[in-house]
Amino acid sequence: MSTKETTGEAGYAPRPGPNRLQGLLWAGFANAAVLIALVAPAHILIQGVLAPLGLAPSFDRKYSTFASALSDPLVKIYLLVVIAASFYLFGHRTRYVIHELGVHGKLAVGLAMYGVAAAGTAVAAYLLFTLP
Amino acid sequence: MNAAVTHPDGAPGPAARPRTHPYRQPFTWWLRRRGYVLYMIRELSALPIAVWWVLFLVEVARLRSGPSGYQPLEGWFVAVSVVCLAAALWHTYTFLSLAGLIMRIPLGEGNVPAKTIVRAAFGGFVVLTAVIAGLMIWGGA
Repeated sequence: MSTKETTGEAGYAPRPGPNRLQGLLWAGFANAAVLIALVAPAHILIQGVLAPLGLAPSFDRKYSTFASALSDPLVKIYLLVVIAASFYLFGHRTRYVIHELGVHGKLAVGLAMYGVAAAGTAVAAYLLFTLP
Repeated sequence: MNAAVTHPDGAPGPAARPRTHPYRQPFTWWLRRRGYVLYMIRELSALPIAVWWVLFLVEVARLRSGPSGYQPLEGWFVAVSVVCLAAALWHTYTFLSLAGLIMRIPLGEGNVPAKTIVRAAFGGFVVLTAVIAGLMIWGGA
């Protein structure tokens, strides 16, 4: 892990040169945000609104179709990528919202938020890949 | 501007404490302008989206109950999903609208116009939404 942000508020002293960790975090955010912007509304609209109201069928309303869809490894990988992107997006954006609301423990907040995202992704992977 | 903080010698209490930061934004700074509120809603749109995927994982976990025990989420899930859908659409609109500012695609001596990039992004969103919706409906039919 980079030490460029680890000196705390009092002793903050950025090193010269690019901060590659920050670059990677923002690149991850940009990719996650694009993916979620493109695919999340369709999932929520069909699975969360239209199908429960009986206005459209959806694969997750019946055990047979849900289990059949999740038996395909490509579907599992797709869902895991989307869920991981969603959790990462949440962690990254919330990290900066907390900072903008006046909480300045950037490293601790960052570790907590990315930790939540990583834990959620691990749970998703476990649930998706250990189905009976 | 903030007035300088005085530190009377020997006087205990809050007035004697040195300030470690010259100025902090009040917690409610984002309520001052409509643009700030919309910005904060955009930043927090990730929360309901993540919550919705957590609820989807609850459905995945319920698959372990077997064919007879599986129950998809009902009723209240629709209400929650409507809120999550609004947040997801706001995220989509704001993020894809920025695509023209963020992306620089070289074309000849200049770049592809920002408006073209934004239109392509929204066109891709419409196509992808139709494809994903079609696959989910086909999978459930």
